[in-house]
Amino acid sequence: MNRSAASFFTSQNFTLFAIVIVGAAALGVTSHGGFFDSISVTTFFTFLAVPILIGLAQMVTLAVGQLNLAVGSIGGFTSCLAGVLISSLGVSPWVGALSCLVVGAVVGLINGSLVVFTRINGFIVTLATMTILLGAQYGLVGTRTISSTKWESVYALGRASLLGIPVIFWIAIAMAIVLRLAFSHTVTGRHLLASGGNPIAAGLAGISNDRSVVIAHTVSGLLCGVASFVSLASLSGVNQSVGGDWLLSSFAAPIIGGVALTGGSVAIFGTVLAATIVRLVDSARAELQLAPSWVNFVVGAVVLGTVALGRFRAVRAARRIKQPVAGSSVTIVESAQ
Amino acid sequence: MTETYALEATHLTKSFPGVKALDRVSLRLKPGEVHALLGENGAGKSTLIKILTGVHRADDGTIAIDGRDREISSPIEAMAAGIGVVHQERNVVPEFTVGENIVLSRMPRRAGRVDWNTVRSEAKRCLALLDLSIDPDTPMTRLSAAQTQLVEIARGLYTETNVLLLDEPTASISANEADRLFTVVRRLREQGKAVLFVSHKLEEVFAHCDTVSVLRDGKAVLESSPLHSHSRDEIVDIMVGRALAALEVPDRVIDDSAPAVLEMRGVATSVGHHDVSLAVRSGEILGLYGLVGAGRTELARSILGLDRITAGSLEVRGSAVTIRSVRQALQDHRIGYVTENRKEEGVFLGQSVARNIAVTVWAKLERALGFVSTKSERSLGATFVGDLDIRVSSQSQLVGELSGGNQQKVSLAKWLAAKTEILIIDEPTVGIDVRTKRSFYDLIWRLADEGLAILLISSDLAEMVTLADRIAVMDQFAITGELDNTHDYDSMSQSIIRLIHGTQVA
Repeated sequence: MNRSAASFFTSQNFTLFAIVIVGAAALGVTSHGGFFDSISVTTFFTFLAVPILIGLAQMVTLAVGQLNLAVGSIGGFTSCLAGVLISSLGVSPWVGALSCLVVGAVVGLINGSLVVFTRINGFIVTLATMTILLGAQYGLVGTRTISSTKWESVYALGRASLLGIPVIFWIAIAMAIVLRLAFSHTVTGRHLLASGGNPIAAGLAGISNDRSVVIAHTVSGLLCGVASFVSLASLSGVNQSVGGDWLLSSFAAPIIGGVALTGGSVAIFGTVLAATIVRLVDSARAELQLAPSWVNFVVGAVVLGTVALGRFRAVRAARRIKQPVAGSSVTIVESAQ
Repeated sequence: MTETYALEATHLTKSFPGVKALDRVSLRLKPGEVHALLGENGAGKSTLIKILTGVHRADDGTIAIDGRDREISSPIEAMAAGIGVVHQERNVVPEFTVGENIVLSRMPRRAGRVDWNTVRSEAKRCLALLDLSIDPDTPMTRLSAAQTQLVEIARGLYTETNVLLLDEPTASISANEADRLFTVVRRLREQGKAVLFVSHKLEEVFAHCDTVSVLRDGKAVLESSPLHSHSRDEIVDIMVGRALAALEVPDRVIDDSAPAVLEMRGVATSVGHHDVSLAVRSGEILGLYGLVGAGRTELARSILGLDRITAGSLEVRGSAVTIRSVRQALQDHRIGYVTENRKEEGVFLGQSVARNIAVTVWAKLERALGFVSTKSERSLGATFVGDLDIRVSSQSQLVGELSGGNQQKVSLAKWLAAKTEILIIDEPTVGIDVRTKRSFYDLIWRLADEGLAILLISSDLAEMVTLADRIAVMDQFAITGELDNTHDYDSMSQSIIRLIHGTQVA
């Protein structure tokens, strides 16, 4: 456990935490305290759940050195499917809403299996499934919006709170905690990270990299399903636009949170904090009544800045540590093997 | 034949595209024996080890453990069969701690969770066997190259094994640290375990091993022979093989008074070279010999501007130059580099032969609006296909379909197309069979006769003694000496090995 205690206050998390506090305070001041009234706080946390969940969904695939471009379309497709199941086919609201989880996991399983069995690059595979699901989503709902009045009981959950904080935010936090435990304390979690960190070393240690990839995509799909469930509970209805703006945020949260794109690491707290920052940017946009496109501009710039900063740090660290010992930078590869 | 072997491999055969890596190789390890496996780079040692540990599957042959045939098709099955290994390549998960890397193959768990206390105690136990006091919680990235290698060794000691395979475990650690490894090896021998030891350091082999097998070009040329019935020189001869060393060398006339076209004076680089001085004349082949990891390819990289030269001077045709990119090396100074990693860096496997050759000169073949004329590309290709005797079905054949030797010719032809005058050739015949090697040697001699200055990098001693006019020996990123090549294999190999071990034994 001391590794988790140590990583909690690493500089990256501390910086992010400080940004959250400062950002919230600044919003509080510019809104003359309006940002801290109970309705604003509830709204803030209600719509923080999805950014956290999709950030985690992307993080899991990044951990094994993959990525998931279908994050938004899995969410959009599963929520619209649930909407159609409930409104047109008479499925009970809870069963319909929870179908998001199953369908999301199945799509993730398909993504992972395609990557493993066809050896096609995960970028192409998820780009393809993304496009297919976008089409399917449109096919399901066309241009109409299915109102959440069809699933009142689920929608009620979206307005319920626990300790003054929306229940659906707690759902996202629960997922984060489960992932935290899974990655630090289960053998499967460690295997996923080993496969992402150095697939050759993992393979030589008897770890199946294929299994790691399939598990990561499945869990990623499942988390998209949870985000979709949360959307059903919090949105006034579902239509073809659900999930449309998830992709950038799903990458932004783990990248700003400190996850290496090359695989082998996760940063759960960092991802949650970074998702919060993205949410703050969105709130600030609403507060200052700027055009929504400003959010994309700011988030995009922050992602670029974060990656550039990380790269700068890595180069500097490498320079500091290594005036290499003779032979240390040599790739020792026996020829022809 | 009542004796039971700890490990008995019979007639293992393995082919990779274009090369037969192992040809009916057998290996027998007795319990309580330390067995040396020797051979030059590319002889097939690592392939053999990878088959015994389930990384590769043999095309043919059997493996028996304690007298029973075992199917070993994955690293897990090898571990289950009691085979432990320290691989040659350093393969650690950099994001993990030292402890976790050591136990990676079998994570201790309790109630479905990783048991971090056992991870630490087990890692400590393995490290203690090597007298190491590294804290298991240390992140892997904090370790030096030598420490990383020691952790690799500790990892090989983690699981209970009856057979331990050590593939060049001492390549980057000090003699002191290696001694601790040998203490463990002796203990394992006393416990009746079998140890297979691969090393280029013959001192270590003679000091610690009981029996020896030697591979050459994928064949076992010496099988399980008592080590101390052989002299060192005998073993070296068996490793290298006389046949190739005795190749007929053409009479080469080199003008000793000609000025050097490429010269390095007291060069140090950002990757760790120091005191490197060498000079190549037009028409001359300067060999750069050294063991894997000695810093030869890295020196080539610094000539090409891929690594920085931090001290000393690099002179091309008599004037000091600073080269910042491969493009500049080629266009301003006519320097070409034939890479040792043919498939990854030397050719475009999915492109045609003609296009591969033209890649260095596209700018010259360019016509109006930036179009490259296919016709001139093809006529250029035809010139070199004929000139270098590249065996192709047609010019539009994809390079990926050619044999290794012909791919190598394509890799080289692109530099000739660009009319380079200084050519650095890195391990030209790696993965190329013996017959094709000969034709390659003829080609290299011909290029030198036509006036190219050639810097030849090779780990193949016989090749070096055959091809080079002079031989510079590199060890641990410095030139340890330079020899005029008499082409007499016995005296040359001894002088060269002395120049390497002069620094290594100390």
